[in-house]
Formats: sequence, structure tokens, C-alpha cells
Amino acid sequence: MRKLELYFGPQHLGMVGNLSITLKVEGDRILEATANPGYLHRGFEKLMELRTWIQNFPIVCRVNMVEPDSMEMVYAMAVEKLANIEVPERAHYIRSIVLELARVASHLFGLWAYANMLGFDTVAQWAMYHRDLILDLFEELTGGRVYHIYLWPGGVRRDFPKGFKDKIVNTLHSIGGCVPDYDATFFNNRLFYERAKGIGKITQEEAKKLGAVGQVLRATGMKFDIRKVEPYAAYNNVDWDVPTREEGDAYSRLWVIRDEMIESVHMIFKLLDKMPDGEVYNRVPNPFKWNIPKGETYVRVESSRGELGLYMVSNGGDKPYRVHFRTPSYTHGLVILEKLLKNASIADVGNIMISLYVVAPEIDR
Amino acid sequence: MTNKNLKFLEKKLKLSFKDSLINISEDTRIIIIAQKEQVLNILKFLKGKGYDHLALISCADWIEENEFELVYIISSYGDPHTNWENIAKSKQPIGVGVNIILKTRISRENPQFITAIPVFENAEPYEREIHELFGINFEGHPRLTPLFLEREYKIPPFRKDFDTRKYVEEVFDKIPFVEEKK
Repeated sequence: MRKLELYFGPQHLGMVGNLSITLKVEGDRILEATANPGYLHRGFEKLMELRTWIQNFPIVCRVNMVEPDSMEMVYAMAVEKLANIEVPERAHYIRSIVLELARVASHLFGLWAYANMLGFDTVAQWAMYHRDLILDLFEELTGGRVYHIYLWPGGVRRDFPKGFKDKIVNTLHSIGGCVPDYDATFFNNRLFYERAKGIGKITQEEAKKLGAVGQVLRATGMKFDIRKVEPYAAYNNVDWDVPTREEGDAYSRLWVIRDEMIESVHMIFKLLDKMPDGEVYNRVPNPFKWNIPKGETYVRVESSRGELGLYMVSNGGDKPYRVHFRTPSYTHGLVILEKLLKNASIADVGNIMISLYVVAPEIDR
Repeated sequence: MTNKNLKFLEKKLKLSFKDSLINISEDTRIIIIAQKEQVLNILKFLKGKGYDHLALISCADWIEENEFELVYIISSYGDPHTNWENIAKSKQPIGVGVNIILKTRISRENPQFITAIPVFENAEPYEREIHELFGINFEGHPRLTPLFLEREYKIPPFRKDFDTRKYVEEVFDKIPFVEEKK
């Protein structure tokens, strides 16, 4: 059969985000796939070298628009570590709650993308609507819907407004009440099973070899979660479990995402119960004259897609000397995607890519 | 966390690689400053000891010392059946929450290094990125093609001597200040 070269993306109905994939195909079968990132390369890491520590916040959260909070968290943690700033106990709890809310919002967004791609438009609309409810919460708390700039070195920018706890609980209850609907229409649907079972299968050995993190690894039965491995914020103070599946295919990855959302919601309730009173912010020095001592650090958090790290070097000045984000989509989208697309069929490209949870701006930075 | 295990690993590293500087910076960070010939051996050694997760390869341009610093960040996936609740008590041979920062310096005039792909397969895009943004050539790398950038640059753009503003003004024209317009 004739071998053809096919360009998939950066704008394609079957995928989300600006990542292009060049496919070498023979009939319906993919012989070779090459991921071409760069459509969203904004050179953030270089830009950050030219701005002060605090000026960098609006840049940091734009690295990933789906879940900006974990980006802020990892940057705030790195600054705290370099400058030796303590965080009050209440701020730890608020951070955890905001991060978990962001995780649920991000997973709903991922569910939207996946369901949309498979043609489950109803579920996609529900997911988008429920994500919007969480964005409403963020708007009340931080003033911004998508980009919050709320997690700050030394704590969080301000305390919960009056009655905010109840609003979180109500919103999460109304989302949680729809879980049976989601299950009936999507997760227990035969169509989803047929379409996702065995697609993009990866074994645990291979996943580890290729540097997988997050759901991709947890769907192969590995309980690897930075919130457990290297606890930060208030994750150590409450009891929770890491959901896993054994199969390692698109089907199990989506189930891990579903279980994680439910686990996150339970965790938020527990955190809200245990939340102590007190300060939420330790003052940082004047941002315009803030020189951070010489040093380097690597910090990591569990974002909604896996291990998110930040390597940061300070040379004692008022700006970072070098910033490098280790984003989960980087290995998923460049190494694992190319591997899994080999011998897949063209109709499964979007399926595999979205089930790997690849977010293109995270790759390019 | 697993301080005893860290001390043990530090001892082992010091025995095997005498030329390298090794210290534990905080409770869960090991910083290794290695000779550039030793890097691959240390990576292999660490992988054999259970540190099987290469999280990041980064590069910093220390222009005053006329050197590039390559940084490998390695941690461990741990055992799949790890009981997280008892992790502090367990006598695991590896520390799961440990991050190892392996650093080495290469000269800026002749930026050549060896690829780490034989040890860690996911090193490929990281090295490709460093090649593109810093101009370091990795020997043995199968495809050092451009990853992000569209244009050709005389100086790789993430080097410290690359002047972003000057480049933008040259290529895209200067946007005059409001006062200048009048």
C-alpha cells in the first residue's frame, strides 16, 4: 500500500491544544509519529530571568492555562525555599484546598476534552458547566476566573471571605450529586468501553523507563503521587488514598481521573473540617528591593497531570538566574505519545493524546 | 525522611566516585558536583541503586566563569507496593522522597557532551531542547533537530549574551515610545 505523510494538528477537530503531529501512515496504520511542539513557545523561562521575583507571577501561571494554581504553587515553594520563608498553618490548608479545587476543575476540563473527542457531547457540556461552577468559586476568592495569582510566597494573598466554606461545600455537593449521571452516561457506557479499552496501552515497566508520571503511571498500578512521596502544603495532615488501575490503557487512565476527582472532593471536606484559625500570610520584604540569597533548588508538586517540578537558581540578585520547569506533559507528549502512536490507527490519535492528558502550552513554555 | 538511607547512599557514592563532591543539602536533597567524564557512570550507578526516574535535565549559562552547567535531577519511583503510611518506619534501600541534583560543568567555547539516552530514554527531548536553546552538542543523540524555534539564531537564545530586546528591535522593528511619536 502507498505510504503517505499526514499532518495532524495544530488545529484539528479530534484534539485539543496546539500540538502538531506528523504521521507516516500506510492505509489506516501509523508507521511513525513525530510530535512537533513549539506553536506556543513564548520563551517564559528567558523572560523570567529579566523580571523580579514577584513580577514573575503573572508569567508563571500562564505556563499552563488549564491548571495555573499548581504552577503558582511550585514557584511560590521554590521562592520560599530559596529565601527561607515560613508559611502559616492556615495558609497550608487554604493552599491544599485551592489546589484540590483546581485539580477537580482541571480534570473536568480533561473530561470535557476526552468526551468531546469521543462524541459524548452531553457529558462534555456537563463537565464544562461543572468546571465553571468551580471557576465561580475562584472568582469570588481571588478575583480571577482562570489566572488567580493567589498562592504567594509566604502564604496566600488573602483569607477566605465570609461564608466561603459553605459555598465550597454546596458547590461540591451539587457536582458530586451528578456523579451517578456521569457514570451512567459515560463511564459505564458500553461505547466508552469499546472505544477506549486497550487503546494506548503501556506497561508499568515501559512507563517507568520512559519517565511517565501522574495518571499515566498510576493507571499501570503504580502508586506514585508526589503528594504522598514528598508531602507539601497540608496533604500530610489528612487521610486519603491514591486511586490506581492496573491495565495501563486509555480506559483505565480515564477511570483514574474520575476516582481522583472524587478523592479530591473528599479531601477538601476533610481539609475544611480540620482547618485551623490564624494568619494566612507571612510578609515578604519589599518586592522591589528583594534580593534572594545565592542558591539553587528543585521543588516538585503533583499537578493534575503528574509531577510538576521547578529548578531555580538564584545568584543573589533581585531576579532569578535560571528557571526551568519540569512539566508532566513534556515526557508524555514528546516521548510516550510517539511510542504509543506507533502501529495505532489514525482514528485513535486524538484518543491516545487526550487520554495521556497532554497540554501543549506546558510542553512549549 | 529516610536520613539513614541517605547517609548510606552518600557513603557509597563517595567510595565509588572519589573525584566528585557530594553533600546532602537539606534533608531530602543530595547535590553531586561531578567531573564531566564521570556523569554517565554516576547516572548508571544511581539507576542501579533504584533511582530510576530522570525528572529533568537542565542547563545554566554561567557566563562569568565561561562555563555551562548541566543539571540532572534524579529521583526514585519506589516500589509499586510501597505502603505509604509506614514509609518512615520501613527499611527501604532507597529513599523515595529524595531528589538528587547531579551537576557538571563544561566549557563554553567547546560545548560538547555525551548523551544520556542509553541510561535514561526520556533524556531525548531534554537534550534536544538544550541543544536548541543553549547550543550544546550531545554526542550520540539520534536527532538534534529544532524542537521549538522557527528561526535561525546566531547566538542560541537562552544564553546569557543573547540580548532579547536588541533582537526584537532588529527583527520586528522598534515600537516608539509615546513621547517619541509626538
